[in-house]
Amino acid sequence: MYTQKRMRVIDRLLDMSGIDRRRVQLRWVSAAEGQLFANYIKELSEELAGLGPFDASKFSLRLSAIESVLNSPRMRWLIGIDRQVTERGNVYSEKIDSARFEQILQAVCETEYRNALILASLRSGPKTVRELCAATGLEVREVSSRLVDVEKMGAAELHGYVGADPKFIRTAA
Amino acid sequence: MSDDFEPKALAFLCNWCSYAGADLAGVSRFQYPPTIRVLRTMCSGRVEPLYITEGLKSGFDGVFVFG
Amino acid sequence: MSEKSRIKSSTGAVMVVGGGIAGTQAALDLAGAGFFVYVVESSPTIGGVMAQLDKTFPTNDCSMCILSPKLVECGRHLNIRLMTMSEVAKVEGEAGNFVVSVREKPRFVDAEKCVACGICAEKCPKKVKDAFNEGLGYRKAAYVKYPQAVPLKYLLDEENCIYFKNGKCRACEKFCPTGAIDFNQKEKEHRLEVGAVILAPGFNSFDPAVFDTYGYAKFPNVITSLEFERILSASGPFEGHLARPSDGKEPKKIAWLQCVGSRDSHSCAHSYCSGVCCMYAIKEAVIAKEHTKAPLDTAIFYMDMRTYGKDFERYYDRARQEAGVRFIRSRVHSIEPAAPGSEDLSIQYVDEKGTPRVEVFDLVVLSTGLEVSAQSKALAQKLGIELDSGGFADAASFSPISGSRPGVFVCGAFSGPKDIPSSVMEASAASAASAALLAGARNSLTRSKTYPPEDPSVHAEPRVGVFVCRCGVNIASVVDVPAVRDYARGLPDVAYVAENMFTCSQDTQKLIIEAIKEHRLNRIVVAACTPRTHEPLFQETIREAGLNPYLFEFANIRDQDSWVHQGEPEKATEKAKDLVRMAVAKAAFLEPIEKLQAPLIQSALVIGGGVAGMNTALNLSAQGFKTYLLEKKEQLGGHALEIAKTWKGEDVFAYIEELKAKIAAEPNIEALTSAELVEASGFVGQFRSTVRAQGRERQIEHGAVILATGAEALAPSEYLYGQTDRVTRWHELEKLFGQQPEKLDSARAVAFIQCVGSREPRRPYCSKICCTSTMRQAIELKEKKPDLNVYVLYRDIRTYGQREDLYTRARELGVLFIRYNPDEKPVVSTDGKEKLKIRVVDHVLGRMVELAVDYVNLASALVPEGLGELARFFKVPLNQDGFFLEAHMKLRPVDFATDGVFVAGLAHYPKPLEESIAQAGAAAARASAVLAKPWVEVEPIVSVVDQELCIGCGMCELNCSFGAIRLHEVKGKGYRAETISASCKGCGVCAASCPQKAIDMKHFRDCQILAAIHAGAHGR
Repeated sequence: MYTQKRMRVIDRLLDMSGIDRRRVQLRWVSAAEGQLFANYIKELSEELAGLGPFDASKFSLRLSAIESVLNSPRMRWLIGIDRQVTERGNVYSEKIDSARFEQILQAVCETEYRNALILASLRSGPKTVRELCAATGLEVREVSSRLVDVEKMGAAELHGYVGADPKFIRTAA
Repeated sequence: MSDDFEPKALAFLCNWCSYAGADLAGVSRFQYPPTIRVLRTMCSGRVEPLYITEGLKSGFDGVFVFG
Repeated sequence: MSEKSRIKSSTGAVMVVGGGIAGTQAALDLAGAGFFVYVVESSPTIGGVMAQLDKTFPTNDCSMCILSPKLVECGRHLNIRLMTMSEVAKVEGEAGNFVVSVREKPRFVDAEKCVACGICAEKCPKKVKDAFNEGLGYRKAAYVKYPQAVPLKYLLDEENCIYFKNGKCRACEKFCPTGAIDFNQKEKEHRLEVGAVILAPGFNSFDPAVFDTYGYAKFPNVITSLEFERILSASGPFEGHLARPSDGKEPKKIAWLQCVGSRDSHSCAHSYCSGVCCMYAIKEAVIAKEHTKAPLDTAIFYMDMRTYGKDFERYYDRARQEAGVRFIRSRVHSIEPAAPGSEDLSIQYVDEKGTPRVEVFDLVVLSTGLEVSAQSKALAQKLGIELDSGGFADAASFSPISGSRPGVFVCGAFSGPKDIPSSVMEASAASAASAALLAGARNSLTRSKTYPPEDPSVHAEPRVGVFVCRCGVNIASVVDVPAVRDYARGLPDVAYVAENMFTCSQDTQKLIIEAIKEHRLNRIVVAACTPRTHEPLFQETIREAGLNPYLFEFANIRDQDSWVHQGEPEKATEKAKDLVRMAVAKAAFLEPIEKLQAPLIQSALVIGGGVAGMNTALNLSAQGFKTYLLEKKEQLGGHALEIAKTWKGEDVFAYIEELKAKIAAEPNIEALTSAELVEASGFVGQFRSTVRAQGRERQIEHGAVILATGAEALAPSEYLYGQTDRVTRWHELEKLFGQQPEKLDSARAVAFIQCVGSREPRRPYCSKICCTSTMRQAIELKEKKPDLNVYVLYRDIRTYGQREDLYTRARELGVLFIRYNPDEKPVVSTDGKEKLKIRVVDHVLGRMVELAVDYVNLASALVPEGLGELARFFKVPLNQDGFFLEAHMKLRPVDFATDGVFVAGLAHYPKPLEESIAQAGAAAARASAVLAKPWVEVEPIVSVVDQELCIGCGMCELNCSFGAIRLHEVKGKGYRAETISASCKGCGVCAASCPQKAIDMKHFRDCQILAAIHAGAHGR
């Protein structure tokens, strides 16, 4: 069940990154279901063949952003607490409706992923907002607001100007 | 996408359920394509999401988790 | 029992006859508690009927999946000797010192040489009907019963083998790659000394061919429930496709007919209820629906729906309301072809109102009952074990697992029809009774193995040895084994590579040991069949060579490679190389893991001094363990003090007095009355509880705890209960008549109302014992005063098992049964004068009837009370109804997922006295398995917390299902997580969910898994 919750987060992140979510699949097979296992492998292999080869180098920036998200204590905390707050209730015995929880999860996935994407692209050197837009595929507004976020966290900072455009750099820590 | 492309996938199988199911497929000689490279875990709960991204990063075309 | 246990010269071995689930459980319990066990099984493999089942109720677990690990454990246990194809011929001697003669039939295959490659079966030209598939499929005359069989050794079926018939063929011998076929094997006789014998021969499914009316012998589409299990099974004759035997067509309409051979007074049938058929029929109907995409109509024709066990009623409700299974209360008259020449079947039946009806189905499943086989009866006779009128081993309610001969115990369906959890409980109880009898001889015959000291060179550079197996032709005919061997030579860290014909054979083990020594190997990879069956063998081998068993890794190149890619040898070879590369990469990161031993306090705390608690305490003390027995009331006895007699008529008062006297005389038991638990902490081996007894608090340290706090009878708020003395519940009425016999003298009519507060939306469970209790009381009233009108207002009569005889007797005596519908409950009223009036809709007559009665006795629900606090203290769960939720409903009925905590009696679920006693024995057996060892042995694949990374958030504690990780206070740092290794199951949920990534899993470390991932992808 924990596995299922985690896989749903992976699906979201793959969607955001443009990696086809069909590349990652969860199936349940019991010890008696040899035929089912064989069928799944057939079916999933065909599907994967249809998607063509996966070129990891094209997605390296995005994969490392996904990794940062999955590594972030905030995300890991949210995944871990899911069943507790939706099924058993929090310390005040309040239950959070699972649809509401999904919304929160989606929002956190999005911000964390974009923050991670920006930080990942800053890894190759200081960049302006426009350069960041080009590298991440995000819109200017989004990049700006995410930058505010990562600046607040102390993960990036202002690093001089190119003309009038400010340039940003990852902080050492 | 050529028709003869043969994907390679990483598969996580849990010891008491799907790994046993995969063994049974073998015992029963149910044939399936040689796509997967299997890693056994004690429980699908062990499958850290990062293993999945690691699989993709390393060059697998897909990652399957069997619970 | 305590006197017997002090017999000095008893034999520390036990024989278990029958290797089904009950026998397997008994053997595992005893071997775990320090006794040597012989398992005598007449068929070629252990597993019994449970191995044939598809799913099990009420959890829908795959039967084989939950059974197989137990069979494997039993098969490779150092202190269990499996004797398959064997039968007991004679038992001499007496309790404590028996000599048993066992006759072993020839297998014609040398089990030492057979590697289960299956070539003999492939080459065998003779096909015969496969009994394992209930005759629905075929097997060869050289065969193995099923792929997961234990022991996994083929055999020749002497009756059908062509060579044995006409002296020619011997194809199997010609092709067997290991020379295992031996046509000259002869029957052998063994004489074995044991201290006790446990009989668990199980049951036979009733053969419905004796009934002409069902047409089982005539119509191919009339099948038994066991045949249907095989049809549903993914490993069955139709590979789990729903198909009917006549034409392989997928049925659209299936009917189940209940009580075939049970609850039937015909001489060829049985009068008892088989107890399990209602549940398995519902299960089959529900599962059948899951097997088909097209809509499937399922109908169950029944008399009373007996879903009396834990979570059964919910299962029934869901089947009716969600799955849409139809339940038709009826009597079936006959089955005929739907039309001349048609394979479809028409069922002629009479509905509840007496109207004859006909309905056509594609397939009819007969819910056949359970019966004791002729062989088991013969066995009983040989051993001098008495049988009851139904043919079951006769056992008293107070000692449900004692056969009529001292030192011989009975369990499972041999002593009465019962389901798997009850059989497992009795098996454990029988093992506890044997252990108590032989306590003085514990560990006297068990073997343990010693190994050379471990080689410290493992910490140096990895030197991996790779052994690639050909498995005869099983691997080598598809995978290019020499190519894989050569490829492995070039892999990093590999110091030695070999190719073997059969890596698992005895002589190869020697070669592996030599290679380890000669080439100073410190990590071993075997590329062969599957780790599930063979990893322990190789781990054993490398231990003998001085390597830690965890320095081993398996590459599965048979079950998951050569066998499933037979048409693609090149790709299979590539895959094998990849798998070997992954295994080598992981192996390089493997580290030795020490077996963990946690300290153990060899005493138990039993909470609850009722029948269950007292029996648990008595058994544990007889086994030699200090036991504390906690009872909140002033005296021991619990609710049994209210009960006069068991349903078999035994005197409960006298029994309780006897138990109390035994406890008082037992120095190992400290009984604390007027006592309650204030606080508890700790874990298996080391619990620490604070108890307040008669006003004083004290600390008790104990290694195990048994929760036996019972349940309470509901005080109903309906039927005028509490408003008039004429409305009573449970045993109040018989007490009243006992104390004031004139009240019975003057009474003209008495009514019992069943299911008061049970089987209702608020309490959707059956209280299980009420029907039987009412039946006994009704019979007694009728016997005392035949002209008294006795009414029983019921929903379904659930006198399961041999209790059915009481129902029959009650009807013979003229007790009147009126079925009511829960939507139209009876209404009890009083006009202020003497009598009570009951208005109820009679569903046979279909109209309202009015009964004038003097007294109404209510069978009110049994409800759990106050278990929440205990659950919190010991970190164990409750189910939705508030009873304790055991580790597994089927196979671990007294354990919890949390080690060292056990449950017995009504706190688990309502049950009759004899079942509470059996469960108490089972709890004692499971607890003694913990206590009998000098320490708590821990599977060392556990989580490890990095104290520097941990921030003490508690996510791991929250997510762990086993209570195996917790926060502890570290001075100056706040809280940090720590693994309770004794409870950890190594699942890794904590590691995968730790926000700080501070947790890693031994043997499945991050670095090991990542190394394997990288290695696996590297081939691109």
